[in-house]
Amino acid sequence: MPLLEINNLVTAFHTPAGRVPAVDGVSLSIERGKTLGLVGESGCGKSVTAMSMLRLVAAPGVIEAGEILLRDATGGVLDLVTLPEPQLREVRGGRIGMIFQEPMTSLNPVFTIGDQIAEAVLLHRNVSRAEARGRALEMLELVRMADPKRRLDEYPHQLSGGMRQRVVIAMALACEPDLIIADEPTTALDVTIQAQILDLLADLRQRLGTAILLITHDLGVVAETCDDVAVMYAGRIVEQAPAHELFGNPRHPYTIGLLAARPERRGPDAHGAGSGFRRAGPLRTIPGMVPAPQHFPTGCRFHPRCAFARMPECSGVMPALNELKPDHFVRCSYADALGPPRRMDGTAEELA
Amino acid sequence: MTQPLVDVVGLETHFPVRKGLLRREVGAVRAVDGVSFSVERGRTLGLVGESGCGKTTVGRSILRLVEPTGGSVRFDGRDVLATGGADLRGLRRRMQIVFQDPYGSLNPRMKVRSILEEGLIIHRLGGADDRLERMTRALARTGLTAAALDRYPHEFSGGQRQRIAIARAIVIEPDFLVLDEPISALDVSIQAQVVNLLVELREQLGLTYLFISHDLSVVEYVSDDVAVMYLGRIVERAPAARLYAEPLHPYTLALFSAVPSVEPGRRRRRIVLTGDVPSPARPPSGCRFHPRCPLAEQVCRQVEPPATVIDGHAVHCHVAARELQQAGGDAAVAAARMAALMAPTAASASPAAV
Repeated sequence: MPLLEINNLVTAFHTPAGRVPAVDGVSLSIERGKTLGLVGESGCGKSVTAMSMLRLVAAPGVIEAGEILLRDATGGVLDLVTLPEPQLREVRGGRIGMIFQEPMTSLNPVFTIGDQIAEAVLLHRNVSRAEARGRALEMLELVRMADPKRRLDEYPHQLSGGMRQRVVIAMALACEPDLIIADEPTTALDVTIQAQILDLLADLRQRLGTAILLITHDLGVVAETCDDVAVMYAGRIVEQAPAHELFGNPRHPYTIGLLAARPERRGPDAHGAGSGFRRAGPLRTIPGMVPAPQHFPTGCRFHPRCAFARMPECSGVMPALNELKPDHFVRCSYADALGPPRRMDGTAEELA
Repeated sequence: MTQPLVDVVGLETHFPVRKGLLRREVGAVRAVDGVSFSVERGRTLGLVGESGCGKTTVGRSILRLVEPTGGSVRFDGRDVLATGGADLRGLRRRMQIVFQDPYGSLNPRMKVRSILEEGLIIHRLGGADDRLERMTRALARTGLTAAALDRYPHEFSGGQRQRIAIARAIVIEPDFLVLDEPISALDVSIQAQVVNLLVELREQLGLTYLFISHDLSVVEYVSDDVAVMYLGRIVERAPAARLYAEPLHPYTLALFSAVPSVEPGRRRRRIVLTGDVPSPARPPSGCRFHPRCPLAEQVCRQVEPPATVIDGHAVHCHVAARELQQAGGDAAVAAARMAALMAPTAASASPAAV
C-alpha cells in the first residue's frame, strides 16, 4: 500500500474574476521510502498540490474535492482533507516535513538555528528543552553542517544559502517524518551547492527511509534523483512513469517538447567531439505560452500548443490518463497512435 | 587581426564597504578584480559562473551602469571609461543591455510605445513618423505586432515581456548587446523560443553579444567563446567547443559535473565541491579557488596562478599548467588527466566546510 495517496484532488481559488481551478483532478501515490518528482512550469498547479496536501492553501483557495490518504505502518489511514485541525497539526512537521524554495522564508530571522530546530522537536515530542537542543545538534550533524556546535547559537543571516537550506532540511527531518515535501528545494541555489543538497537528500533517504515528494521545474534534477515522475500541465497530470521510462520513452507531446527544448550539453565526456550546436540549427520549441488557470483551454489543455493536435477531437474532449503500458500513464488520446519517439529528443517528423 | 569590438583589460570594480558613524571606508567588495577579454565583431562571448562571481558586474561595468574602479574598456577603439557627456551617450546608443527579469526591467506605468520611444528620443533618432516605423520594425523582429504599442507591460506574458525588452534594446540599432541572464526568469518551454530569437537577431543584424548566464548548456549553444568566472576573476577561457570538450580548470570541471542531466546513463560521478564561495570582500590568497579545490597544493595557497595559453585556450591553474607541460601542450591529454585527478573521492562525505 502506498504511504500517501491523492485521489482526484481539486483545489480552486475563488477570485472576484471567477473560479480558478489551479489543481483540477490530480491523483498521485507515493510509496514508502521512494522519491516522486512532480514536474511542471509556473502556474501548472504543482505547488498548490503540495500546499493542499497539508491544507496550507490560503484563502481564497479551497480544496473542493478529493481525498489525501496518509497511511501509517500499522495500516491506519488518515484523510488529510477531512482531518480535524488539531490532528492535522501533528501531521504537519511531524509525519510530513516540508522544505521550501527560499530557505530564508522558512527561517525566523530573530531566533537562533538551535532554537528553531528544537522548537520543531518540542512541538511534536515529549522531551525537555535540553533534550530538544541535543536533538538539534544531532540533526545538524546529520545534514553534515560544518562546525555544528557553533551553528546552534547562530542566526540565519550568518549562514550562506546552502547552509540555510541544510538547516531547513534538519528541521524537516527532526521528527523523523515518513514523507518530506520538497518544493523547489535547490532552485535558489547555485549548481555546485545544488549538487551538495541533492547528494544530501539522496543520502538521507537511503539512511532514514524517508519518502520524498520533489517538486521542481528542472527535469535534470528529477532525472538524477527520482524513482518516479509525474508531469503536470495546466492543473492536471499529463504523464506519469518511472523516471528511466519517462526520460527514455516520453509519450505525451508536452513531455517530449520539454525534453527537446533543452540544448543538451555533451560535456567533458565527449572528448574532441566539439559541441556543434550551431550546425544543429535552432532549438525545438513549444509554440505559444503556458495558459493561466483562468483561461485553461477546452478538451486537452495542451492542444493549442501541440504539434500533433487533431481537430476537433483534441479541443472537444479531455483525454483520460491511460495506462499505456504497466506503470506508464499518459493523458493523450493519440499517444498510442503517435508511437514512441525514436530518439529522446524526438522531432515532429519522427513522431508523425 | 581585426580590431575587437569590445576590449576589456584588467577591469576592476570594487564596491566600498563603509562602517560606523562617519561611514568610513573599511574595505572593498572586489566584485570584479582584474578581468580581461575581448569580443570580435559579430561574435558571442559567454560568461558563466555562480551567483556573486561578478559576471553581472562585468556587464554593467562595460556599459558604465556601475563605475569601474580600474582597468580599461575600449569599444570600437574608443576608451569608454574616459568618455563623458554626449560622447558617452553616443557610445551607449551602440551598446545596450537586456536584463534577467522582464517584470522588473519594464516600467509598469509606461505603454510599450513610450518604453520603445524613450531611447529614440534620447538619442535623437528619427522624426515622429519615422519613429513609429522603427518601433514597428523592432517589434516585428521580436515576433510582436504594432498592436503591442498601446498596451502596458502587465498585459503580456513573461516571454512576451522579454521580447519587448529585446525590442527596446534593438530599436536604436546598437552593435553590441549585454544579455544578462536573459532567459533565467522564463518557463522552460518559453526559454527555447527566446534563445532562438536572440540567435536569429544576431545573424540578421550582425550583433555582437556578451551572454551572461549560469545555464551552461544554453551558453554552449549560443556562444563562440566562453569564459568561466570565479570570485571576480576569469579562471578559464576558450572557444566554446574546446572548453566543453576539454575543460582544464578544476572549478570548470566541478561546475560542469554539477549540472543535472536528463540523458540516461549520464547520472554519473558528480564532483561535489565542499564549502561555499568565499566572500569577495575577503578573497583567499593565491588561487582564489584553493579553499574548495580538491587538487590544491602549497603553491596554490601562496601564488596567484598566471594564465597558461594553448591555442586560444587560457587557464589559470598551477596544476593544469603542469599537466599541460607534461602532456607537451596537448590539451586533450591534459584535460583527461585533470578529469581523472578530479574524479569523485570521499570528498562528498566530508562536512560542508565554512
